[in-house]
Amino acid sequence: MAERLKPVDVVTVGVGLTGAIMAKELAAAGLKVVGLERGPRRDTSPDFQSPTIHDELRFAVRKALMQDNVKETLTFRNSSDQTALPLRRWQGFLPGTGTGGAAVHWNGQTYRFQPVDFVYKTHIEKRYGKNFVDPEITIQDWGVTYDELERHYDRFEYLCGTSGKAGNINGKIQPGGNPFEGQRSREYPTPPMKETQYGALFRNGAEKLGYKAYPQPASTLSQPYTNPEGLTLQQCVFCGFCERFACEHYAKASPQTVILPAALKNPNYELRSNCQVLRVNLDSTGKKATGVTYVDGAGREFEQPAELVLITAFALNNVRLLLNSGIGKPYDPRSGIGTVGRNYAYQTVSSVTVFYDQDTRINPFMASGSSGTVIDEFSGDNFDHTKLGFIGGAYVGAIMTNGRPIEFHPTPPGTPTWGLEWKKAVARHYNHTVVLTVHGMSHPTRTNYLDLDPTYKDAWGMPLLRLTFDFPENDLRMSKYVTDKTVEIGQAMGGKTVVGAPRKGPYTSTIYQTTHNTGGAVMGSDPTTSAVNKYLQSWDVPNVFVVGASAFQHNGTYNPTDTVGALTYWAVEAIKSQYLKSPGPLVRT
Amino acid sequence: MIQVGVVALATLISVAVTATLVARPVVAQGVPRAADPKRGAVIAAQGTAAVPACAQCHAFSGASDSSGAFPRLTGQPASYLAEQMRDFASSRRDSAVMSPIAKGLSANDLDDVAAYFATTSGPFPLLAGADAIIVKKGEKIAREGDAAKGLQGCNNCHGPDGAGFPPRIPYLAGQYAEYIKLSLTMWKAGYRKNSPNVMKQIADRLDDQDIAAVAAFYQQIRNDTNAAQ
Repeated sequence: MAERLKPVDVVTVGVGLTGAIMAKELAAAGLKVVGLERGPRRDTSPDFQSPTIHDELRFAVRKALMQDNVKETLTFRNSSDQTALPLRRWQGFLPGTGTGGAAVHWNGQTYRFQPVDFVYKTHIEKRYGKNFVDPEITIQDWGVTYDELERHYDRFEYLCGTSGKAGNINGKIQPGGNPFEGQRSREYPTPPMKETQYGALFRNGAEKLGYKAYPQPASTLSQPYTNPEGLTLQQCVFCGFCERFACEHYAKASPQTVILPAALKNPNYELRSNCQVLRVNLDSTGKKATGVTYVDGAGREFEQPAELVLITAFALNNVRLLLNSGIGKPYDPRSGIGTVGRNYAYQTVSSVTVFYDQDTRINPFMASGSSGTVIDEFSGDNFDHTKLGFIGGAYVGAIMTNGRPIEFHPTPPGTPTWGLEWKKAVARHYNHTVVLTVHGMSHPTRTNYLDLDPTYKDAWGMPLLRLTFDFPENDLRMSKYVTDKTVEIGQAMGGKTVVGAPRKGPYTSTIYQTTHNTGGAVMGSDPTTSAVNKYLQSWDVPNVFVVGASAFQHNGTYNPTDTVGALTYWAVEAIKSQYLKSPGPLVRT
Repeated sequence: MIQVGVVALATLISVAVTATLVARPVVAQGVPRAADPKRGAVIAAQGTAAVPACAQCHAFSGASDSSGAFPRLTGQPASYLAEQMRDFASSRRDSAVMSPIAKGLSANDLDDVAAYFATTSGPFPLLAGADAIIVKKGEKIAREGDAAKGLQGCNNCHGPDGAGFPPRIPYLAGQYAEYIKLSLTMWKAGYRKNSPNVMKQIADRLDDQDIAAVAAFYQQIRNDTNAAQ
């Protein structure tokens, strides 16, 4: 029997990036906020300190910072005619757990989406006509525009102290930045990170071909910075342990470094760790949430009543909680009807490996998760697709996040996969190889979706989420095209051997590609095709907001975090300025 | 300049790319001259026409003394030592004693002397009369930092218990407490300027008690007084 706790104004399910920002803002507005985090409480000091944190086996291979999939995982299949099986070990992607969530082990790549991303369907139909896109693709407009989000992007970047070079300030193209980007209102808060050796080689090759190379925007900081919350970040030391690790240096923006201490200072905010939320509770009408039910670390069940429930977990878990709570109509791929689970998308990532002779030394270990040099010529709709037979694109760059000894061992084709010859090849190529990333869009289709698994349950008896996904043909064609272009850059970089590996289907969950899972609780202006409105408010239960990449209608060319941050500030502003004054639907239909 | 040390120790994990790294790395890489530690030993012992012998203050072994005025150089990474000497020469690191000496040495002299001291060894005397409580406090800062101050642990860069992180990060384990204290105080007061974004920021968050504690811990941690034998 659940113990009923004292009601509060707001509960956030998850204390990661979105949960911490929401909590900070709403506690400051005078509301009593409780943050429920399923994982442990942890902080830069003492938990993330070196040498402990630089344990590649523990963190990168055994994935110590990730969701405990002995207790809670998801099931996966490529298509509806298969039986999904549980992911018993994280391989393909890495949902985090614990305070700070996945924003603790991210790389810090901080890109904005393009203005056309938010009006994607309208834009594509206008430029290429209504019948250009494969019929299986289910892109839609987002219901929000880039211009509406601009100052929220700006706010998030200034929160993180992001290091970069603007390419377009108020419509004026800036030398050295990305000339294709949507206009921003001001320069990045800190200058770009220093260019690495692999970045310089890439710049050389790309510029030879006429492309405009620019420094990757990085929330691993180029210099010390104090953010508007009064929290100070330190300069990154290029240790090479970002992704899958936590930063020991206060140099990577994470909830712990940029927002959580500010939230925790406010007595209106209470953070409870090791609390697993089972469901959002609804009243008898099913149209109002009354709070949440959770189980604490000792196995005790509690009901936490709240006026406002903010679902601020990882994208996949946001969707699962909606489904397990009966909020919104589950999406049915046969009829195409329903909203929750719709438009799941991933990221279409491929690579090109450039092998050099012995005289070119790369030092790949001198890296941060987001140090790198990139080009934007093949991103999104920056190039004409008329004769290409696909939509979407990819950014291309030299973004070697590390040269860690267990997992980084590039060898050219023809090398045996084990034994003496393999070892010799690793020793020969380790310091003489640049890996280029082709980071591509992912388009939603009618048959890629999320729902509840009919068989498997978690440690608390709740159904697992089921992911049904395979790469759309459109995205594989895109990957081939941009990967081929990237091979040309690799050749221009002076590589001795250049090997392109375009993404091929079927999708496998056993090879790491990216953790950018998006969609499933998408935002939009039509309640029959979106789960939340433009303010991330549930159409069905207006005192529930679902915040995160679950709202993305498709996954853009870029890493999602900046857009997640911008949407969070956008949504919390709507809550503060509109919802609190008059609780109810912010968009009437 | 940077390439010299990095190339020599390419397979080690480097922890720092600080302000001295040029904004855009050179794409073409040459083969660096190999430093000559034997020639460096001669300069350390005898000096040159322009500069006095290093051994006068630092001892021929580089062990210096515990006064705090002179750091222990024994076995420090060559690349780190050479970089500091270049900073003395350019007055990025300014010292009335060391800057004229560094200016009086050629680039090859600097590399050779640095290579020599990197090869030396000697005993590490423990801090006489160290207070166990202070050492413990220093250990906590060194290993964990201080959450309240947003301070990272020293070991993150200086290696497990200050063992050093070649090529660019010096060891602290066994360095004289008085010298560590002096250095941190110099960073904090703004006299030492050649790591404005890292060491200066860290020193600013340490108070005098923290500095004394960290210094005591690091001299105390290297308990191999017979290393020379």
